[in-house]
Amino acid sequence: MARAMWRGAIQFGLVTIPVKLYLATESTSIGFNLLHASCLNRIQMKVYCPFHDEVISRSDTVRGYEWSKGKYVVVSDEDIENVPLKTVRAIEIEAFVPAGREETGAQFVKSAYYLEPDEIGRKAFYLLKSVLAEANKTAICKIVLKDREQLAALNPYSKTMLLTTLHWPDEIRSLEELNLPEQEVEIKASERKMAEQLIASMDTDFNPAEHHDEYRQALMGVIEAKVAGEVPEPMQKVQPTKIGDLMAALEASVAAAREARRSAPTEPKQPAKPKAARAAKARKAVRSTKAQPAEAKPARRRKTA
Amino acid sequence: MPAEQLPLPVGAAAEVGRLRLPSRIVPMEVSARDAPFDDPDYLFEPWWPGVRAIVMVERGRLQLQVSGLSDALAAFPELVELPAQLVEDGVVLDGTLLVLDDAGRPDAELLRRRLEGGGRRGRPAYVASDLLWAGGEPVTRRSFRIRRRWLEAVLEPGDRVTVGRAYVADGTLVAEALATLGIDGLSARQLTARHRSGPAGLAWFKAPIVPAEPRPRPTLALILRLPLGE
Repeated sequence: MARAMWRGAIQFGLVTIPVKLYLATESTSIGFNLLHASCLNRIQMKVYCPFHDEVISRSDTVRGYEWSKGKYVVVSDEDIENVPLKTVRAIEIEAFVPAGREETGAQFVKSAYYLEPDEIGRKAFYLLKSVLAEANKTAICKIVLKDREQLAALNPYSKTMLLTTLHWPDEIRSLEELNLPEQEVEIKASERKMAEQLIASMDTDFNPAEHHDEYRQALMGVIEAKVAGEVPEPMQKVQPTKIGDLMAALEASVAAAREARRSAPTEPKQPAKPKAARAAKARKAVRSTKAQPAEAKPARRRKTA
Repeated sequence: MPAEQLPLPVGAAAEVGRLRLPSRIVPMEVSARDAPFDDPDYLFEPWWPGVRAIVMVERGRLQLQVSGLSDALAAFPELVELPAQLVEDGVVLDGTLLVLDDAGRPDAELLRRRLEGGGRRGRPAYVASDLLWAGGEPVTRRSFRIRRRWLEAVLEPGDRVTVGRAYVADGTLVAEALATLGIDGLSARQLTARHRSGPAGLAWFKAPIVPAEPRPRPTLALILRLPLGE
């Protein structure tokens, strides 16, 4: 496996478990470079100071923190090194909470890391893992990564544990600004039924191998075609037409309408207008003619020669 | 032998110099009805929001007859693979040509642009409703009940072309379902009727559907946004 990106120890009460951290994921997105359109050379980003009206070197810059509009305090590397933190080189477990994503804040994840215990820590590592799994708990911990103290969750995963960095509560935006009138929406029984049927028809176990980044594949196809000097094909082949989806939607809504009639029987009326007919047809609701046209109902047998 | 059990007319005309398909089909013209109805003698399906199209396949070659278009296949080149879905040659289908948007919904604007010869946007699809010729022979004298069953035997469902779902007897129920999908018409074909060119009489009705309150589109959008299984 690749090089460890962090070494330290899980701190948990008086127990110390030395571990290494490995990135659990990698980015496969396609990177671009910016070129000058007229000559196709790589452009350079220069650091420019408007006060001196000159391009300066990056080493002539310092970090500033804007503590008030237009007012900065300089924060040096030394200041940063002197930050008093316990969590440097440690994964400090703060609490154990019920596992599961519904825990407040645990939904907002950043990155995932694999842990690898050092030899002397193996026993404690796997003990912690098995207890977490049995009790169905998540360990909430803090770790300093990339100069920042991060909140993280520690969970059993396959043969190891997965450390997932989380956003701090103050990094999570409020929902208040969005227009979310959940209470005002009325959902009819038939609509709920239809949605339930659609979901049931797609109910399956999550198999990540079935899901692909189709945009990336298509983009790579365009790039490779350009490299080979071909004109890229129009994008329309990426997603096939699925007339079957439309038929399935029809079938689901007919099933839902049938179900709605069955569950809301009213006295039969003459079907004059579809609105009146909606509630009226309880007596016919038990038919099962789904998707079997012609042969399902030989209502009037007749020889056609 | 009861008509329902008649085998497909495979090959009878195939070996001998078969009948040539007519160069043009005079389609059946739908009758109007003012509301959806229930009748066990009728097969109900959506009035798909597209254009009527007659598909003719002879010796594996596809011709597309769309009223007002001299070269319909040029506007819908994606359909050229249709003959591969037919288990027979010498076939004429009656159905509806749709253009679907990226979410799989029929899109009238994309269809209009195709018909006007502008661009290749959207995904054309064809929903077959009736079978007029099979195995190089006309089947128009058979009852719709039989034509429909043969249609399902002749045309294998594919991603672009399929036999439309249809339901016997429960016209008002199908209309309710279509109202929630935002489809505003119901097609009703009489199972005992033979196919006739020109006015359909009782053989085929179109009835308008009053949209479900408040507006139909969101439900359709909801359903179609869920990626349905194959």
